[in-house]
Amino acid sequence: MIQISIISILFAGGVLAWLSEQFRPDGSRWVSLASIVACLLLLMNFNGNVSAALSGTSVAAQAQWWELVSAEWIPRFGVNLILGLDGLSYLLILLTLLLGIAGVLASWKEIHDRVGFFHFNYLWTLAGIVGVFTALDLFLFFFFWEVMLIPMLFLIAIWGHGNRIYAAIKFFIFTQASSLLMLFAIVALVYFNYQNTGVVTFDYRQLLDHGLAPTTAFWLMLGFFIAFAVKLPAVPLHTWLPDAHTQAPTAGSIILAAILLKTGAYGLIRFMLPIFPEASAAFAPVAMAIGAISILYGAKLAFAQSDMKRLVAYSSVSHMGFVLLGIFALNTLAIQGAIMQMIAHGLSTAGLFALVGMIQERIHTREMDRMGGLWIKAPRMAAIALFFAVASLGLPGLGNFIAEFTVLLGAFPTNRLATVLAAIGLIGAAVYALIMMQKVFFGKTRDQQADEPQAFADVTPRESVPLLAMALLLVALGLLPKLVFNLSAPSAETIAQAAQSVLPSSRLADTGATPALRQWP
Amino acid sequence: MNAEALQALTPILTLSGVIILLMLIVAFLRNHRLTLGLTLLGIAVTVWSTLNVSPLLETDPIAVTGLLVVSRESLLFYLLFLLSAAVVSILAFHSFEQGTAIQPEDSGEKRNKGDFHTRPTFQEEFYLLLLISLLGAIVLVSASHFATLFLGLELMGLALYALIAFPAIHANRNSRSKDQALEAGFKYLVLSALATAFLLFGIALIYAQYGQLQFAAINAAAAAGQGTPVLLAIGLVLLLIGIAFKLSLAPFHFWTPDVYQGAPTPATAYVATVSKGAVIAITLKLFSDIGAFEMRAPMQVFAVLAVTSMLAGNLLALQQENIKRLLAYSSIAHIGYLIVAFLVGRQEFGREAVIYYLVAYIVTTLGAFAVVSLTADYARRANTQSSPYRISFYKGMFWRSPWLATSFTMMLLSLAGIPLTIGFIGKFYIFAAGVQAGYWALLSAVILGSAIGLYYYLRIIVMMVQRPGAVVHDDASSGEVSPGEVSPSAKLTHEGVSIAISGQMVLAVLTVALLAFGIFPQILINWIQ
Repeated sequence: MIQISIISILFAGGVLAWLSEQFRPDGSRWVSLASIVACLLLLMNFNGNVSAALSGTSVAAQAQWWELVSAEWIPRFGVNLILGLDGLSYLLILLTLLLGIAGVLASWKEIHDRVGFFHFNYLWTLAGIVGVFTALDLFLFFFFWEVMLIPMLFLIAIWGHGNRIYAAIKFFIFTQASSLLMLFAIVALVYFNYQNTGVVTFDYRQLLDHGLAPTTAFWLMLGFFIAFAVKLPAVPLHTWLPDAHTQAPTAGSIILAAILLKTGAYGLIRFMLPIFPEASAAFAPVAMAIGAISILYGAKLAFAQSDMKRLVAYSSVSHMGFVLLGIFALNTLAIQGAIMQMIAHGLSTAGLFALVGMIQERIHTREMDRMGGLWIKAPRMAAIALFFAVASLGLPGLGNFIAEFTVLLGAFPTNRLATVLAAIGLIGAAVYALIMMQKVFFGKTRDQQADEPQAFADVTPRESVPLLAMALLLVALGLLPKLVFNLSAPSAETIAQAAQSVLPSSRLADTGATPALRQWP
Repeated sequence: MNAEALQALTPILTLSGVIILLMLIVAFLRNHRLTLGLTLLGIAVTVWSTLNVSPLLETDPIAVTGLLVVSRESLLFYLLFLLSAAVVSILAFHSFEQGTAIQPEDSGEKRNKGDFHTRPTFQEEFYLLLLISLLGAIVLVSASHFATLFLGLELMGLALYALIAFPAIHANRNSRSKDQALEAGFKYLVLSALATAFLLFGIALIYAQYGQLQFAAINAAAAAGQGTPVLLAIGLVLLLIGIAFKLSLAPFHFWTPDVYQGAPTPATAYVATVSKGAVIAITLKLFSDIGAFEMRAPMQVFAVLAVTSMLAGNLLALQQENIKRLLAYSSIAHIGYLIVAFLVGRQEFGREAVIYYLVAYIVTTLGAFAVVSLTADYARRANTQSSPYRISFYKGMFWRSPWLATSFTMMLLSLAGIPLTIGFIGKFYIFAAGVQAGYWALLSAVILGSAIGLYYYLRIIVMMVQRPGAVVHDDASSGEVSPGEVSPSAKLTHEGVSIAISGQMVLAVLTVALLAFGIFPQILINWIQ
């Protein structure tokens, strides 16, 4: 019931936040903060499972689902409300809620206009995302998948910057058109499953043995893949991302980059690989190539940007390329690396977007050419920014390094060329991250700012506390990666096993030996 | 005719009685409010009698002579059309009170307030015509014989010509509105007559083959191997062309945007919902009764029409600045989607999909037109200068009238097929039906069309949530508040689009239905089954 409680708290919190605006101008911010904190407290209920997983109890000793709720919804279509929660979902929900708090804090001073409606949309987006991370019925999954879109559209279209309408519509059409393909694939999957088994069901667990013909499975797999690849985003389908991320308000960028993108990766891991193992294995070389291209192309474009927020946005394309590469390496090691990357990238990108937001609030520009020398004016902010920049470039000792390294390690036996290319991307990351630091924080103070009368204020506690917390988490992940690996191991193992059971034996010989990272430090 | 058959006929008889009664009352006493009240009362009584018939039909449909068949399915359509007509008449009431019904376009010209009260407006006749057209629709959906089919269709159509051209009564008023309405009515008249000619020719060909006009008898004769199936197929294709005109499937859609734009908005809502719904319903019945689903030629024609409608409707809607024209093109596309499910109508699931989508389409379209109509009424009252039918009129509406805008957003999201709304379940049904039949090409057209459609629906939604600038220029001399004049300093004005209580209730009911059937579709599915 905890998943349902969390989702309902977020939905109800959204409505309350909207209403509370009328009583106190600050009310909606506090309501929104309180509801996310309440959800986090609810999540504490799983402490037992977490500690069991961390202490390395064997997979067999645990049920796959920590909690499973099931109720009838639309019997005509065999649609049920099935919400499950396992280690992977837990990690992602935790990430969602933590960054949710960071987003509320980041928007505290930024949003003055229609604060109530802002928080309504904000919480509803979060509710949709938590729903996506827990739904086990494909219809329900699609439902939540769409529920998170509309509020996100409003967040960009109403509170965004400059070219927000264009960005919002582009974002929506890209995601919605691709999810129509997914809806089509879902319906087709259910129908063929019905033909083979005589049961109409959208239950993911029952659909696992659908017994489709390989060609059909391949086409349906593509339907899922395109929807998830748009969200991820993978390279030819990424063009919505720089616009949406750049024009969104800070809190919106944080949710978009840090969490919403993860729904695509989650969909690949949770649904696409297990449902279509053969088709995914057949498609893996292409997907890994797309991943490697995304890494390089994203890094190159990030390097070419003069808008700081756009740079961070393109760096997301590059980092999510590692996720794609890792997932389609189809072994436990790489999938665990991909999961780690999802979390580490969420934290580091959220930090960078928050920093860009703070700078923009102060000097009203995102153009890096007009910044410079900020270290002298705001040393604490600069130090934090340096931390997140090096986290993003993959400095050893931080979560991102572990993630990217693990992905490369896992992917190498499967696809050497793609892995080598991807590794070059790490250099690209160092280049753009350091260039950003150089342009913004080092060097001479630019004249334009010298004219400005007010001093450039350093970070306030409201701004720095969430950033420091995220930084601490990144260090913790870097030094103690088992926090993530042990929790995600059961899911990753199950999926990798399913995928490997259908791999050609030659490749199995390569990958079968890679151990799960359960017993890491 | 036995007592049971007579009882099955009560909804039709009741409605006819109401029409005659209303006609007599109007002859003696013209009172707008009274007429609306009587219309609604008449509809309520008919609804009540329809519900009373329903227990009779637990097992089998009842055939009333050879001409009509009353089944549970047709009762569902009765209710749907009756309720739609009730909504339309409430909208019409407000339109007449504000004068938008007799002057749909009032592009900023100075208007002498109260002017239209000095001349007879014959507004009571609008309700009469509406009820007559409704009677036609109800007869049409229970037809089991080509004679009743034709009678119902023409009864519905004849009343519609007058409804569409209603503003033309006021000869020397604003000439642009008059011309537009006349053009709309005339276009509809001529093209409908053409469509009817095709339809009659098709019926004649079928009659020439089998000597029968009753659906079941034709089916029996065809099954027995009489006549040439080729002529039956040709007859059906001709019939289909007539139907395609009525449904405004591309390439027979040219009348639609002009008629939608020129007609008073309540009449537009009626054309878009009841008139099209009734034609869909009878086509479904006709096709399953005479076994046309097994014939390739008509089905292929229908499939081609569906694809062209989906693509043409969506593409043409992209460029529209007038909201009524936009909804016209979008309705072309929606009927296109519906035809995809219709092609699977032989199976129980396909029938269910058609009916569900039809309900979704009617609820949503009515809602959208209700918003347009009520907003236009308000604009007339507030004497705004820019045309309330332009999309830009809706700019920033979310901040001025959050409830109205929320409800309109819901309607548009439902048209776009986004979850939580009835439109999503409808689209889901279409996907499911299409997948069952393996119509991959048609489904890709549905996906493509929906993706294009998103853009223009979103445009309106985004327009509504835009932070307002000065949108609507107030006519300062009128001394009334403008809905959109917002200075940057005072961003949140309190003057929203104000709507009469009954209008608000209509919107509330439609929005609630849209959400309820979107979240709990099983309720509606149970009724359909």
